[in-house]
Amino acid sequence: MPGHKPWLPALATDDKSSRLYMKPPAFGYEAPTSIEQATALLSMHDGDARIIAGGQSLVPMLNFRLLVPSVLVDINRIAGLDEIRDDGKGGLTIGALVRHFQLEASELVAARFPILTEAVRHIAHLAIRNRGTIGGSLSHADPAAELPMMVQLLNGALTIAGPDGTRTVAARDFFDGALTTVLDDAEIVTEIALPALPAGAGWGFKEVARRAGDFAMAAAAVTLTQKDTLIEEARVAVMGVHDQAIRVPGAEAMLQGAVADNGTITAAIAAVREAVDPDDDLHATAEFRRHLIGVLVGRAIHDAWHRAAVAHT
Amino acid sequence: MTGTASGKVVVSMTVNGDRVEELVEPRWLLADFLRENLGLTGTHVGCEHGVCGACTILMNGNSVRACLTFAVQAQGADIETVESLGTVNDLDDLQESFRKHHALQCGFCTPGMLMTAIDALRKRPLATDQEIRDALSGNICRCTGYQNIVKAVRTMVQKRDGDD
Amino acid sequence: MTESAIDMRPTMIGAPVQRKEDPRLLTGHGQYTADVQLPRMAHVAFVRSDRAHARILEIDTTEAKALRGVHGIYGAEDIASLVRPLCASSRTEGYHATLIPPLADSKVRYVGEPVVAVVATDRYVAEDARDMIHVDYEDLPVLTDPAAALVETDTLIHDEAGTNLIVERGFGRGDTDEAFHTAAHVVAGRYRMGRHAPMALETRACVGHWEHGKQSLTMWSATQAPGILRDALAELMDLPGKRIRCIAPDVGGGFGAKVSIYQEELAVAALARITGRPVKWVSDRLEDLTTTSQSFDDIVDLEMAIDADGVILGLRAQVLGDVGAYSIYPWTASLEPVQVISFMPGPYKVAAYRGRAQAVATNKPPMGPYRGVGRPVSTFAMERLIDKAAVAAGLTPEGIRRRNMVRPDEFPYKTPVGIQWDRAGFIECLDSVVEAVDPDSFRHQQVEARAEGRYLGLGFASYSELTGLGSRIAAAPGMPINTGTETARLRIDSTGAVVAAMAFANHGQGLETSMAQVIADELGVAMEAVMIDSGDSDPLAHTTGTYASRSAVLAGGAATLAARGLREKILKVAAELMEASPTDLEIFDSTVRLVGTDKQLTFREIAHAFYTQMGRLHPKQRAAMDLEETRMFDPVFGTASCATHAALVEVDPATGMVEVKRYWVAEDCGRLINPMIVDGQVHGGVIQGIGVALHEELIYDEDGQNLTASLADYLVPSAAEAPDVDVTHIETQLPDNLTGFRGMGEGGTIGAPGAIANAVADALRPFGADVNTLPITPQRIHDLVQAGSAQTLRPGRNNSSDDTTS
Repeated sequence: MPGHKPWLPALATDDKSSRLYMKPPAFGYEAPTSIEQATALLSMHDGDARIIAGGQSLVPMLNFRLLVPSVLVDINRIAGLDEIRDDGKGGLTIGALVRHFQLEASELVAARFPILTEAVRHIAHLAIRNRGTIGGSLSHADPAAELPMMVQLLNGALTIAGPDGTRTVAARDFFDGALTTVLDDAEIVTEIALPALPAGAGWGFKEVARRAGDFAMAAAAVTLTQKDTLIEEARVAVMGVHDQAIRVPGAEAMLQGAVADNGTITAAIAAVREAVDPDDDLHATAEFRRHLIGVLVGRAIHDAWHRAAVAHT
Repeated sequence: MTGTASGKVVVSMTVNGDRVEELVEPRWLLADFLRENLGLTGTHVGCEHGVCGACTILMNGNSVRACLTFAVQAQGADIETVESLGTVNDLDDLQESFRKHHALQCGFCTPGMLMTAIDALRKRPLATDQEIRDALSGNICRCTGYQNIVKAVRTMVQKRDGDD
Repeated sequence: MTESAIDMRPTMIGAPVQRKEDPRLLTGHGQYTADVQLPRMAHVAFVRSDRAHARILEIDTTEAKALRGVHGIYGAEDIASLVRPLCASSRTEGYHATLIPPLADSKVRYVGEPVVAVVATDRYVAEDARDMIHVDYEDLPVLTDPAAALVETDTLIHDEAGTNLIVERGFGRGDTDEAFHTAAHVVAGRYRMGRHAPMALETRACVGHWEHGKQSLTMWSATQAPGILRDALAELMDLPGKRIRCIAPDVGGGFGAKVSIYQEELAVAALARITGRPVKWVSDRLEDLTTTSQSFDDIVDLEMAIDADGVILGLRAQVLGDVGAYSIYPWTASLEPVQVISFMPGPYKVAAYRGRAQAVATNKPPMGPYRGVGRPVSTFAMERLIDKAAVAAGLTPEGIRRRNMVRPDEFPYKTPVGIQWDRAGFIECLDSVVEAVDPDSFRHQQVEARAEGRYLGLGFASYSELTGLGSRIAAAPGMPINTGTETARLRIDSTGAVVAAMAFANHGQGLETSMAQVIADELGVAMEAVMIDSGDSDPLAHTTGTYASRSAVLAGGAATLAARGLREKILKVAAELMEASPTDLEIFDSTVRLVGTDKQLTFREIAHAFYTQMGRLHPKQRAAMDLEETRMFDPVFGTASCATHAALVEVDPATGMVEVKRYWVAEDCGRLINPMIVDGQVHGGVIQGIGVALHEELIYDEDGQNLTASLADYLVPSAAEAPDVDVTHIETQLPDNLTGFRGMGEGGTIGAPGAIANAVADALRPFGADVNTLPITPQRIHDLVQAGSAQTLRPGRNNSSDDTTS
């Protein structure tokens, strides 16, 4: 579900027919029970297969026949991917099949990463959160979806299984533009590791969407720690304003070691507006989106500073 | 699941307490399966892209969009639709609350709204009207303006929490 | 039972009775058109035009025909002999009718127009086959801008019209030149209301079933007007009406979008006949947003002359309406833009008025009725301008409204376009809302909030509308149908049951309940005893359906007359059986009692005596009596309904987001039948109006492509965006009115856009912002705030000044 263009592309297409479809094309269906089986199936179909997890982004695209896979590989029956585990070091390990609702309801997540709990509250609606998975959301890589931004903000690392074994990719290296990742055709995200936030970190999350649960027009997520009157560590991530969710190192640099005053925040906002490259779409021009993300980053920094202050004392 | 030459596969699940087994194409949406194969037309189809919520059902106790789930994915699942609730002559408490508060007009969104409300009442505190509104925000109603639906659900929250 | 006990019987009219419809709808046992299942049924999918304006050169269906599961593939020429094109005729001067073909024949005129029908075992296969059908087109220039289409002469949407200006009308009264010449202040603005989708949650759908033995057609359709559909099909298919039955079963909302006749209905009727199978077409949401009739899309230039005291002296309105590719049947393309100028003066006294409306055809789907028709636009424009006039005259918004409204002693009041307002609570509604809102204390809060950087705004909108139109006021002059009468037939059947055949077509209004309330009271039976057949063209000689806020008035009137007539007939039979005078008899709870005695007969006993027990009545007596009454009701003119709305909003100028914090409505729809249902209609109407004001907009690109064809792009309000609505009813009585009922189903949507626009403008006053384009989206608010000034119209449009001059 692209966030920058109309969700549904215009009916006129280069191919022969209009895109007034609402029933999926024919496909085969496989429901492997192990990661090995799943990657083997993906290898066998050589790019024509699609993984279905929650399906909340994939099925609309199938219904519209925007995708015509030869086979769906349903990974929901693979055991062991649906848990949120304590990593023993203050962080969490989250299985790829963990549903958004599990994240929303998890006390562990709320204790370790309250900003993630807040972010998940902005993902669509209850029925979608009951089905949608973290692995699916990351793999789909919508530029206006929350989780791709959050795993980058939280310095997450993704475990990826393929026919030749597993590899680990930092969240910041995983995304490669709109709806694109570094995943090969036969690879599956199996797990996301989120390391502990620094002690006393405060957070701020701000999102603007046309309606509750809609894809964001823009959103910003910030964490920071205080040392005396200065900002120590700062992280700034944004979404909906670039071809993918991104961290903004330029803004982080403006914040780190600075006094949290209006001048610092203004400089961070300017750095964000400089770093992003939004598109025009139905809901907002690029100019408005650039303005908006600055407003949201400023507000998120403000919240994060005040929460950090609470943590500090 | 076993495949056939026509590409159809056998799928079995429990629907409203009955065990069903049917041959379906993998591409058949659960909403179409319930309506066309099983004749359970209480589950309505309003958009087929997961936005309107009219097709919301319970799958293993969780509300899901029947238009974003394939019937084959429900293999072995426990499915509940609006037909599992009270009957015309014996509405259940939630249905009665909807009737009492005039929480439906044309009735097209109502089955999905009821199934969503059941899940929200189980999972969420719904302490304020805004929380109820957020919980229902994935279900579009074009008739009521939502005010009376919120009232109907509020009554059920009070009943659930024993403070009515 | 004593007489005093009879006096204590509950009156159903006015009671918040729970709905008869609800148990089936709450349990999944409603039956909507898509739920109709018949043996051998096939499914239809349409190949639709993917371009907005093109000549059809060739259609290749060879490959698709060979696909397993495909029963047949049909183009315009295949069904031409079975069903003719529609034509919405009108006697109005300056009107050019257009032919609406069942399937596009020589050319396509909008993206989504049906070209080829695929009939297959199921919708999945039908869509597979559609993929294999190749249509070659020769592109024609696409007209999407009505201002350009208006002056275009080389490219015509309908060649036979000779112009794209398919309706032009103007009217008024008084000397506007003099009014503007002598004015102390003139205020003006250009107001634009975006294109809008009615978006009933149930998409359009129909099922056609041709019975060869009877040579007759049954059509189930998700329609508000089964009677209009039946009459149209009978004419276009050259069949007597009796051989076509149109049924509107449970219908999932309409809001005006399901009251016109559509190309697909004609095609499905023909397909049922040609294939010999029951055929079902259920629109998907993309089709629905792409092809169902759309609304508004008017540009209004409005100017107002006031004197130094803020009294309106004159008003001039010029409306340009984009009515899309066809003049919709039966309402015609004049419906929306002409209604805008007709109702522009609103509830105010306007001595001199001139209005002119132009309806221009473009390559977009047809413009049709939507809840409020024209009046949401006229109210938005007029109420925005009244607020500007208030500033010019140094009055409060509520003050200038009160000063100009028709006062209680001035009814009946004839508006400058000749509409007559009967006594209605114009000022009472305004006063009621003002009291609830307390604008003076709000203005203090507003100042305090601004000091904290929060922007609150309060907006009012007042309107009056004509509802329950009778035979002297046509929705569009000279249109091919009569909407001014309605018939009801009531009978006691041989078991004593009370059965009503009625012409309404319920689609959420609870008419099975409210009409049962009316009949129950008039007849002296319990509501549960009243069984109503409706939404069916068969039981009555002539029906239309439910639209235009008519059913409470027309169906209610017909039901009242028929119940009164039937009551007399029951009493006559009972009097004969009880050897008493009818004047000594009372009816209560389906039982006739001889007052002052314990003699009584139940309806069941009366029915048995009349129908089945030979010999109970003398044949001559029996021949002179019956237990059935058919009555037609014609309100002749219409009834005035009115309201004042108020909205309190908070605007975040940095993000462009608007929160509607409070909403008030005081409305007068006369005597309430079921206050619970009336409140529900107001709530729903207001939230739709908030959608119009803030969220909903169909956006077309220059190629005529709908960029908002999904519900992720066309944004209707969810529960999270909807405020609670505080409703007060003023029940003004009409002395010479049969029932006292007035229509009210559309009112919520008429008032809300103007109230929200005024509230947002009030909130953004520190930025000097005007709100003249709806929906007022975050982007438009951002633009207003950035510009710090007035205009948000698209570049290229000639914006008129909004400055006040003195």
